[in-house]
Amino acid sequence: MSQETIWDRLQRIDRRVIYWLLFILLMIPFIRPLGLPVSISPQAISLVEGLRKLKEGDVVVVNISSGVSAWPECLPSLVAVSKVLIQQKAKIIYWTSFVDGHMTFEKIVEKVPGFRGLTYGVDYVHLGFYTGAEPTVAQLATNIRAIFTTDYKGTPIDQLPIMKGVNSAKDVKMVISSDTGDYCDYYIRQWRIPYGVPTAEIGIAMIFSQYQPYWPEIIFGMTGGARGGAELEKLIGELGDATVTMDAINTSHLLVIVAVILANIGYAATRRR
Amino acid sequence: MAEVVRRELVYILTAIVVIIMIVDFFFAVPAVSAVAGELRTWATIISTMALALGAVNIIRVHSRNVRRRTPGVWYHSAWLIFIFAFVMLLGMLDINNPASNPIYKWIFDYSYVSLGQTWYAITGFYIASAAYRAFRARNVDAALLLIAGIFVMLMNAPIGEVIWVQIPVIGRWFNDVGQVPAMRTFLIVAAFGLLAFGFRTLLGRERGFYGEVAGG
Repeated sequence: MSQETIWDRLQRIDRRVIYWLLFILLMIPFIRPLGLPVSISPQAISLVEGLRKLKEGDVVVVNISSGVSAWPECLPSLVAVSKVLIQQKAKIIYWTSFVDGHMTFEKIVEKVPGFRGLTYGVDYVHLGFYTGAEPTVAQLATNIRAIFTTDYKGTPIDQLPIMKGVNSAKDVKMVISSDTGDYCDYYIRQWRIPYGVPTAEIGIAMIFSQYQPYWPEIIFGMTGGARGGAELEKLIGELGDATVTMDAINTSHLLVIVAVILANIGYAATRRR
Repeated sequence: MAEVVRRELVYILTAIVVIIMIVDFFFAVPAVSAVAGELRTWATIISTMALALGAVNIIRVHSRNVRRRTPGVWYHSAWLIFIFAFVMLLGMLDINNPASNPIYKWIFDYSYVSLGQTWYAITGFYIASAAYRAFRARNVDAALLLIAGIFVMLMNAPIGEVIWVQIPVIGRWFNDVGQVPAMRTFLIVAAFGLLAFGFRTLLGRERGFYGEVAGG
């Protein structure tokens, strides 16, 4: 019976050891922040450049198709984008395809100081939750009132000054979709292609590669995960939650890479044997 | 006979809806657009009803568990029904703005949000462990995937740039030159496949859409 060598053991580290190591490494930034500089991707730059082209009074739709579980990844970008939209004096219409979308909207309002100087229903509004995926997104492009008759508080949308003259995609200057899935595809197919509404994507890191082929021709800008949020925070000069999260991403990524390299060294050594 | 008529009716209805949608999208005929708009609103209403149906189904399944005292499950089901009824009642106190109810808001803020984010964060631990166990350079292809994966990971983490300034450049090369064309090809091919599937469905050659076995 052959004895287990160090190379064998390198390939069979108990998962609980990895969990504990990851937990400890995630704690390090809380004790001593690393604060490493974040380089900015061209996708994030073009997103902010696109937002900066908006003029006062332009209507922008922010589609929230990410739930509260994705806040660490999507919320920083949503907050940064909302800050720029307020700086541009755009009118912002939020709506959501997630049942908990109103919580994301309220969190954005809480985190963006600029909302305090604005009036709900005049400068920004949350129309609430919609079901029906792509057919609903298509119908929103042709007739917003067919889907939403009130905002999320129950106020008829015809009583909301911001909605005056806003009936379809033709009245909207830009749509930004925050995604954990494929809702941006629906906006590309139903808003960007038929009506030419400039579209941007704020997604979790996992779907960044899914939308990259659309940039820059079809979607004018995009961010992926907390990294994208940190890039936007740096671009607008207001560091926030995503910048803090980057420290945890540094330590966790490093652990995974070191663990994979060790496992492969062990594998190579035992295979030769 | 009735079964055949019912099946044919489904084929005909599907074909009519598809034709209306295609004409609306490509030709924008006002009369057709109005009908298409109505159909899309119906789709939204039906999917909202499906959500309600899902809620009813959850109660049915869990009520059965409680009634039958299913071992190891029934008390979880009872708890689910209790919470379901409690949150729904709280929400209905102010149906237009449930979030204005402080208890309702508290439940969402301090249980739903925390649990949701914890569940999502736990996947990070699984991914770390799974990557360690699965990522092996067993052959040249796997070795290339491993190298590309490491560079892309280090590109996403700022520490990669600190380790070696060229890491983000190489990672971006893998991403832009390797991944984007492959993904673009996949998207185009998938779109053609969807188009072919749509035509086959329209012609009655693809029966899976109707809940039947293909060719049946």
